[in-house]
Amino acid sequence: MTNFIDFLLGGFSSGAVIALMALALVMVWRSTRMVNFAQVGQAMFTTYIALTVQQSTGNWLLALAVAMVAGLILGIVVFFLVIRPVKNSDTTGAIIATFGVLIALQAGAGMIWGGDPEGFIPPVSNAGLEFAGRIWPVSLYDILVWIVTAALVIGLTLLFTKTSLGLSMRASAFNPEVARLSGVRVNRMLITGWAIAGATGAVGGVLIAPVSTISPNSFDILLVFAFTAAVIGGLDSLIGAVTFGIGTGLVISLVSGYTDASNAPVVALALLALNLLLKPDGVFSHHGSRSV
Amino acid sequence: MLLIENLSVSYGAVQALKDVSLEVPHGHVTAVIGANGAGKSTLMRTLAGLTKPQSGQVTFNGEVISGRKPEDIVRMGIALVPEGRSTIPELTVEDNLKLGGMWRSHAQRNASLSRAYSLFPVLGERKSMRADTLSGGERQQLAIGRALMTGPQVLLLDEPSLGLAPLIVTQILELVARMAWDSGLAVLLVEQNATVALRIARTGVVLNLGEVVKSGPAAEIASDEELRHAYLGY
Repeated sequence: MTNFIDFLLGGFSSGAVIALMALALVMVWRSTRMVNFAQVGQAMFTTYIALTVQQSTGNWLLALAVAMVAGLILGIVVFFLVIRPVKNSDTTGAIIATFGVLIALQAGAGMIWGGDPEGFIPPVSNAGLEFAGRIWPVSLYDILVWIVTAALVIGLTLLFTKTSLGLSMRASAFNPEVARLSGVRVNRMLITGWAIAGATGAVGGVLIAPVSTISPNSFDILLVFAFTAAVIGGLDSLIGAVTFGIGTGLVISLVSGYTDASNAPVVALALLALNLLLKPDGVFSHHGSRSV
Repeated sequence: MLLIENLSVSYGAVQALKDVSLEVPHGHVTAVIGANGAGKSTLMRTLAGLTKPQSGQVTFNGEVISGRKPEDIVRMGIALVPEGRSTIPELTVEDNLKLGGMWRSHAQRNASLSRAYSLFPVLGERKSMRADTLSGGERQQLAIGRALMTGPQVLLLDEPSLGLAPLIVTQILELVARMAWDSGLAVLLVEQNATVALRIARTGVVLNLGEVVKSGPAAEIASDEELRHAYLGY
């Protein structure tokens, strides 16, 4: 039982990061109805930028802020690179193009920063906290990850539900024609969606880097988990992405704890397959918003 | 005044509008009637900027609007209520309304919102409910309310009667006619239900296979039996 609780607690941090990546995928899906497979590549690239900032200034908050801004910009760049040229002709082409961007980002990062894994020093201790006579699988850094994730999710929720920009973005996602007829510049809203997704992914990257290492391919597995969480959540639901992001983190923590870490991706894909068989619309999706 | 001159639109080989000219003056309802496929919706979508004209032009108070984007046309004061009660079901009633005219000042938007609620009290009662919980008539009121939130000088109404009970249609259209009269709104109403449309309109325009076959005082068109038999099928 102690093991079970430890495994669960240990899963929350990776769950939070998966949730952020899934959120990024969902925001792109909501704005342009496609999956951006370059998302983790963008996060990897901005995490390298954050690493550079941290190594030269030693300021973690500054590194996080720079990564977010870089994420926004990179999101916009990828939008113009991928969506603009192929969007009108076909979505499948654009999705495949995102794979191209992913490979280009990984190659680019390898050329700039080299292919060897590098460590990212956490701003606070990464060692398990001692409490009530034992050491728990939760560190100060884990708590920081939870706080940053919660703040970002709350911020995004407020943005989407309480502001004019959020209303314009939601309307553009639900019904672009009605939005345009109401005076919303829908194209700008789509770009904004990609930009916010880029920044969200960037935060996820900076948060996960200290507990793993960073290399051009180190986030690839994150794509599997985030994609699973986003799809099970319904692809267009922000709540779904967060819920199943954390849920996926817990499941992989349990699987890694009881069996072996290498089984985690297989279990994630099995869950994805099960979901597509039993509830292909996703759990939190609006009915019929996605076809498989 | 909205002025349409020699407007032609085609979808590939199909000529949807041929050389259509008409004017929509302020303070009145102008009704465009005609059977299914006469080009009525194409006319509306072209005026709103959703469809690009092949030739001809549309001017509003002397400024050319044809060929512009829908979001720019609505910002100039021309609002379309598209066919089929175009509300966004996932959003609340109030969010559907607030979507209209987001570029306007806070004060203007608040004034328009209270005006919409006083015109359509039922929307005020249901403002925090999702739009898909509304009845057909309520959703049509919501769609018109959203268009009014943009502060239009010209209101384009595409088949507002579709699928609604006759009594509700009459209520909504009479309200629109009163609004035109009271606030100088120019209304272009497209309808398959010619009887109701011609009753509230000052001018009637009969469209057939993309061409204007007759235009004149609404009462005159309503009483022209030959015209009715030939183009309106009743």
